[in-house]
Amino acid sequence: MSGAADIEALRNRIRQIERPARHGVLPFGIVAIDAALPGGGLALGTVHEVTGAGGDEEDGAAAAGFVAGILARIGVGPVLWCLGRADLHGPGLLAHGLDPARLVLVRAPRDEILWALEEGLRPGLGLTAVVGEIGRLPMVAGRRLQLAAERSGVTALLLRRWRNGAEAAAERDRPSAALTRWRVSALPSADVANEPGIGRPRWRVELLRCRGGVPASWDVEVADATGHVSLSAELADRPAAPTKQKPAGLHTGPLIRRAG
Amino acid sequence: MPLADARSFVPGLLTAAAEPAADAAALTRLAEWCGRYSPWTAPDGSDGIKIEITGCAHLWGGEAKLAADLARRLTRQQITHRIAIAGAVGAAWALARFAAADGRPALPAAGAERQALAPLAVEALRLAPDIAAGLRRVGLRRIGELYPMPRDALARRFGEAVAHRLDQALGDLPEPLSPLGEAPVRRVRLSFAEPIADPAEFARGAERLVADLAARLAREGMGARRLDLAFLRVDGRVEHIRIGTARPSRDPRHLAGLLIGKLDTVDPGLGVEDMILSLFAAEKLPAEQIGLTNNPEATASGIAPLLDRLGARLGLDALSRVEPRASHIPERASMTIPVSAKHSSKLDCHSGARPEAASPESIFQRPVFMDSGFDPSGRPGMTAKKLARKPPRPVRLFAPPEPIAAAWLLPDDPPFHFTWRRRPYRVRRADGPERIAEEWWAEDSSAAVDALRDYYRVEDSAGRRFWLFRAGLPGGDPPPRWFVHGVFA
Repeated sequence: MSGAADIEALRNRIRQIERPARHGVLPFGIVAIDAALPGGGLALGTVHEVTGAGGDEEDGAAAAGFVAGILARIGVGPVLWCLGRADLHGPGLLAHGLDPARLVLVRAPRDEILWALEEGLRPGLGLTAVVGEIGRLPMVAGRRLQLAAERSGVTALLLRRWRNGAEAAAERDRPSAALTRWRVSALPSADVANEPGIGRPRWRVELLRCRGGVPASWDVEVADATGHVSLSAELADRPAAPTKQKPAGLHTGPLIRRAG
Repeated sequence: MPLADARSFVPGLLTAAAEPAADAAALTRLAEWCGRYSPWTAPDGSDGIKIEITGCAHLWGGEAKLAADLARRLTRQQITHRIAIAGAVGAAWALARFAAADGRPALPAAGAERQALAPLAVEALRLAPDIAAGLRRVGLRRIGELYPMPRDALARRFGEAVAHRLDQALGDLPEPLSPLGEAPVRRVRLSFAEPIADPAEFARGAERLVADLAARLAREGMGARRLDLAFLRVDGRVEHIRIGTARPSRDPRHLAGLLIGKLDTVDPGLGVEDMILSLFAAEKLPAEQIGLTNNPEATASGIAPLLDRLGARLGLDALSRVEPRASHIPERASMTIPVSAKHSSKLDCHSGARPEAASPESIFQRPVFMDSGFDPSGRPGMTAKKLARKPPRPVRLFAPPEPIAAAWLLPDDPPFHFTWRRRPYRVRRADGPERIAEEWWAEDSSAAVDALRDYYRVEDSAGRRFWLFRAGLPGGDPPPRWFVHGVFA
């Protein structure tokens, strides 16, 4: 009997399974976030899910910005972005670091998007990543994508986008085969001293699920033109607590910054 | 004879309603099936099919064998037929209808059409009934009797038609045959000894056909853009797989993959006897140097097969790229253009310079004050500073903008409250307005939703940031309307 050898082999397998970052990781460059992720960053060559919150679960705007920031830092190659409705705006993506010229948009019916994603995850195509805006994600389909991504080393980002609140409620908490699940929601912008109007826009980035990691939440400033998010200045040193809205002074209407 | 009379004469008479449209459709289908003999086939009138077999007969071992094969297959489909082969369409028409019989095709030797036509009735010349009756009245019953007649006398009495038809029948006047549908550039055919219905066999067949075609394209330095794979079924129907490629290609594995990917759309019925691969559009594709280095072009060739696979299933117009345009109208600042368009881009070449959105009006198109915040020549890293000075643009842009119900206080204020998709939003902060007017120099400027828009960036109480605009002037008539045009990340 070679019990010891068997156990050693099993241990090796477990190590393999627990080390999902076979294709390297993409650090966020923020210690707090990278520490929560196994391997110190977003594992490449796997499947990640990104959702919005509230009404943005349908529009997927904050999630798209977050995804654009990640894509900007993964590489410079082409990106396959599969979506049901072509409402991406190039200049907006550029502001979060993603050069829209890298995108190949695939407009497909809902049930064809998974197929298109799997095609994009085949090895040897030279894609940097694939993005899919999908609503329903059956477990089996998710596992297939995960396997395809592992084989080719191409990162798949699933932007979960639901048609309406009812669908979102039904699908939101379903388990999936993705390695991580993120929720990105817009936060009221940070005040800029002596400036009325919208300040520095911020997100609450929540890591809801992470294999081998710890769920956590951070308030960050949105991805800039290099694709990096940064911790909000006033929150960088202390735990995130609900900040009180500052009284708007005598002005009862919205705070407005005039153009010009 | 009216139907009622006929019924009274023969009580057990079987009748069926005439369906000319269905008959014509069936004839067209049969003509298409005859494509196994030649790419040039067409239905002829309501009861015939013309097949141009010039240069095709030897593939079947001669005209007689071709006719025999055709007869055998038609018999099996239980189609009564009469077949004739002649040097001119007119002669073949006459022989098929007046000389041939079921199982006895009329095949005059080359040059012997004149003698073969001579004993036939004058009606065989495709003449109008009254002209044929006129000929009979003066005792001209056979085509051969027309041969010695002086032409001018015939023309004077019966018009040009008789001489014209006679010349056509004898091949003295050309009569072109226009094929059913588009004539292919190249064609490869594969016939099976027995009808097959197994998709795996189809896949093997497609691979063989594509390999044949690819070898020929390689010799000619061409690449395929549009292909049609036809499956000729035993029952005379034809099934098609049509594919297009984003770039000219002659890679057999790639093309076969595209065709095989659509095999599930083919209904083989009782079996398929022939597969015909037709090339309808080809473009120059110079001989390739297999890369020694890891050059950027290699990436381009890597993604093209993917685009073709996606395009074959979803349609090539489902694929697009985002192309920056120098326009301050938000809808036009970023265009989605089809991937198949011949245009250099990042996908083609990573090191090459990006084309400027050049146009005769380029001096108008990029004044400083109307910059779209999306510099076509800019790289993200280097434009960070520039971006900071420009008004932000949303990540999602709705086309068309979605109307909202808004409430506002002062004429120039953004709404403090609005309802969009039946959800209420309370505005906490806002930036603006940013006025965007139509492009007066563009021809279709009136096509924009509204000529004058004041854009506001607003943030609701939860922190979501929207891009709203007011169409029309505040206090104007009609009252201004509000739209949400996009959502910021």
